[in-house]
Amino acid sequence: MTNSIVRQLILKDWRLNRLQLLLSIGAGMIALGVVLRGGEGPMVAGTVWFFIALIMVGTMLPISGIVNERKKQNLAFLMSLPVSSIQYTTAKIISTVGMFLVPWVTLLIAAVVLIETRGVVPPGAIPIALILAGMPFVGLCLMTGAALVGESEGWGIAANVSCNSSYGLIWYFMGRMPGLMADVKSPVPVWNPTVLKFLGGELGLIVLILGLTFYIQSRKRDFV
Amino acid sequence: MTDLAIEVKGVGKSYRFFSLDHINLEVPEGEIMGLIGPNGAGKSTTIRILMGLVHQDSGDVRVLGHRMPAAQVAAKWDIGFASEDMRLYDGMTLAWHMAFIQSIYPAWNPAYAQLLLKRFGLRAEQKIKGLSHGQRVKATLLLVLARRPKLVVLDEPTTGLDPVARHEILRELTDVMADEGRTILFSSHNTQDVEQISDRITFIDRGRIIDSMDRETYLDRWRRLRLEVPLGVELPALPGVICVRQEGRLAVATANAFVPGLANAYENSGARVQRIETMTLEEIFVANVEHSREEVRV
Repeated sequence: MTNSIVRQLILKDWRLNRLQLLLSIGAGMIALGVVLRGGEGPMVAGTVWFFIALIMVGTMLPISGIVNERKKQNLAFLMSLPVSSIQYTTAKIISTVGMFLVPWVTLLIAAVVLIETRGVVPPGAIPIALILAGMPFVGLCLMTGAALVGESEGWGIAANVSCNSSYGLIWYFMGRMPGLMADVKSPVPVWNPTVLKFLGGELGLIVLILGLTFYIQSRKRDFV
Repeated sequence: MTDLAIEVKGVGKSYRFFSLDHINLEVPEGEIMGLIGPNGAGKSTTIRILMGLVHQDSGDVRVLGHRMPAAQVAAKWDIGFASEDMRLYDGMTLAWHMAFIQSIYPAWNPAYAQLLLKRFGLRAEQKIKGLSHGQRVKATLLLVLARRPKLVVLDEPTTGLDPVARHEILRELTDVMADEGRTILFSSHNTQDVEQISDRITFIDRGRIIDSMDRETYLDRWRRLRLEVPLGVELPALPGVICVRQEGRLAVATANAFVPGLANAYENSGARVQRIETMTLEEIFVANVEHSREEVRV
């Protein structure tokens, strides 16, 4: 029964956010379509739009699914159900991360296929693309954790603004790291130690943020 | 011995500007208990502790035999809880909410849900954002009642409702009780609602339970005595009289343990008893709260 209620809460979130997911996939696909047109202008614009689509969905899911649920007082309704605060946290993390993974994986596969088959972008860019795509994933986890732990719109917005304003800065510094950019024009993806460190760092951050969220939530004494 | 649906012993909870102080509360199975208190009295905090949503700092809470908050999940399978600050999903229909709750509770009764839809004048296909406040409260109550809970806990369910909607909701709660074994705890600052359906009434003020007994006992024990006090006569302090207000030759004594002997005692002191009045629950509540606050000040 415990698993069943968590499953129902996850399914509920999926039903509520289907449109957002479809729209983000659509926006990402359009961005890749722009890249396909060739030339520097469309490639830069398409790439930026592609990441904006990922950042948008990564921002909207925690806001609509967690912050608004509390703000609009739906949380009291959910907590009247046979669910504990830690089960609610589990359901929210699985549903938010799971929902994000749908457009994330779909668009990344589409991007890799495009890079490998159309020759518009060299395959050496795949590792960088994966690192860049990992950032909205880290951002989503941070915003999800802040929304769950912070229990207020303010914390959600603070996490949101911090994440979204830091992407540009990180991109800037990444562009100046020879270890990352050396093989970007290579005809095959090169998984050098710097790339692997970045990817490992992102994965570590995701695990750390979600683990901390669970830990803090499990110690809370008042939930609604 | 009657089984207790709710058993609260010595519960305390402290916040920066408010605290619940040694709350004791017992609700036997099959009873309707009304929890009356002014705004900020601690009704919602008490109810949240009962639901396991807020952890008490001290004391024991058992709901339907489950220790709270540790066993809140097991307990909540049999509790239907609705509060005034609870909202359904605006963008979804009532039918969607009904399907959601049905997917969770095996005891959901579709026929009863349909009956409630009809009685409350609701349409399942309507989105929540299109419902009035009264309709939203009824929709929430439908979702609570159709799952057939053993215990219904309602925090200010009638706040902001028009008299017709209030009547419909109270009637439905009374009907629920036709099914023996069900228990209802509901809080309100509207004494009329509580008086209408409760078997037992508990007054709470400033984080303390100030009185708890069955409705008839309240109404039997509380009286207001209007007295004429001739010059030179001093009214005696009598047991069972909690408050005497005198202006010139007229005095009003409020008794919380009235016996006919009280009137005789006043007559014997030289005062004349003009009238002995029964009190409404609201008057009893206000007098009780004022008395309790004076006691605290002393």
